[in-house]
Amino acid sequence: MSVDLPWLTIAETQALYASRKLSPVELVTALLARIEKLDPQLNVFIRLDAEAALAAARTAGQEIAAGRARGPLHGIPVGIKDIIDVAGLPTTCHSKILAGNVAAADAPAVASLRAAGAVVLGKLSTHEFAFGGPSFDLPFPPARNPWDRTRHPGGSSSGSGAGVAAGFFPAALGSDTAGSIRNPASACGCVGLKPTYGRVSRRGVFPLAFSLDHVGPLARSVADAALVTEAIAGFDPADPGSANWPKPALTPALGQGVRSLRIGFVRHFHETDMPADPEVAAGLEAAATLLEKEGAQVRSVTLPNLKDASALTRTIMHAEAWAIHAEWLRARPGDYGLLSRKRLMTGAFLTAADYVDAQRRRLKLIAAVEEVFRDVDVLLCASSMDPPCRIDDDEAIGRTYPRQARNPFNTTGHPALAMMSGLSKDGLPLSLQFVGRAQDEATVLRTAAAFERASGVAKLHPNLP
Amino acid sequence: MTDAEIELIARAAGLQTALEQYRADVKAAAEEAERLRAALKGPLTAADEPWPPMTVRKP
Repeated sequence: MSVDLPWLTIAETQALYASRKLSPVELVTALLARIEKLDPQLNVFIRLDAEAALAAARTAGQEIAAGRARGPLHGIPVGIKDIIDVAGLPTTCHSKILAGNVAAADAPAVASLRAAGAVVLGKLSTHEFAFGGPSFDLPFPPARNPWDRTRHPGGSSSGSGAGVAAGFFPAALGSDTAGSIRNPASACGCVGLKPTYGRVSRRGVFPLAFSLDHVGPLARSVADAALVTEAIAGFDPADPGSANWPKPALTPALGQGVRSLRIGFVRHFHETDMPADPEVAAGLEAAATLLEKEGAQVRSVTLPNLKDASALTRTIMHAEAWAIHAEWLRARPGDYGLLSRKRLMTGAFLTAADYVDAQRRRLKLIAAVEEVFRDVDVLLCASSMDPPCRIDDDEAIGRTYPRQARNPFNTTGHPALAMMSGLSKDGLPLSLQFVGRAQDEATVLRTAAAFERASGVAKLHPNLP
Repeated sequence: MTDAEIELIARAAGLQTALEQYRADVKAAAEEAERLRAALKGPLTAADEPWPPMTVRKP
């Protein structure tokens, strides 16, 4: 077959399944061979479950052949971040602390994917407890960036982003507490969506910070991210943060374009609050120009200072994370990696008043974002302020990691999507972010799809063997 | 925050083992908390309530 299997979209795959030109077993077998060949250099997988994946692919193939196709995800291979439970597999959170912690049941997000017919390939690298990384002192090595394996793939959903970009699977689940879906999407040049807070159940997902945690997809195309989100969205009464909203229909609007859409461009994030790398800034301006050519009305808007919003988010995150990890940090500090230990102990030095004051400021930030959405339909802003740096350069990691515009939208809960804006002169992904009104993932995805079509970024792939 | 204050808070938080084995990490954590506290800006009034607002759920 002449089809380039690693780069198929979900829709292209379904068309091949429907025409009997490809079967789920053939696709999974090809991807497993690619993983076996390339993953020793990329460290995407913590646990590859090849046998179960092939069995699921066989079942999917038989169902499709018998005319019992379940929908767009039937027979589609996916990867799962290793803080999310998959029944029968360990959820290690990439940490010695949870070695041998075998999940008894699928997290609802995973169960939804399986019900839709998706094939789970295995568990993926993360920063330790979705917080401490990239680290070389953990039980598993850190994932590498497929565009340049000396570079950081972003995190904490590192394996999800790297695996999607490497052509190991078309989509993956990640989690996002302060940007952890959108950071690897930015660094690895794929699409990462943090849905609205409450949209996707977090049950069966090891928490980092309860009031900031989100679950969402990483994929190689906007349409694929929309399909996965449609599958995993839904009310879960057993998740205290879950919202009782109807399941969203996200794919119908993808082709509508942006004509007359009002886009608020948050320029001050990357121009003055945290001045971005010139190539990142140029990519953002080029994206705004392209969207205007597509018919959108782009205007500058002002939100609270990015550094202030970021400090607010990090205060909440550190306080909540300490509450989760305090007992282990007291008893087993040596079982954490260096970065996690330092970061997770920060909460011990915050006071109750610090946390409450951050939560009081949070309402003001939410109100400020809501106010801007009175006049615009969607926001365009930076995601990462820098291209991915070297993974072994601690100074560069420490300097560039906080230079991002993602975490304010964990604090406010608005849906936010990061994707590639283009490539740097060094051939590394540059990124941008679209943010929507609460529950309006449809407009975020519609805008991203229009940019994807006009820019051609979805056709760009890393140069792998 | 002085070293003595850091030690006092760390012990009160139950981090004796970390203090003995990873004193530099404990100090780094305390310094990060100081930076975050200093970075929380903007006036608050007594009427500013935290997120999420208290709600009473149906029984």
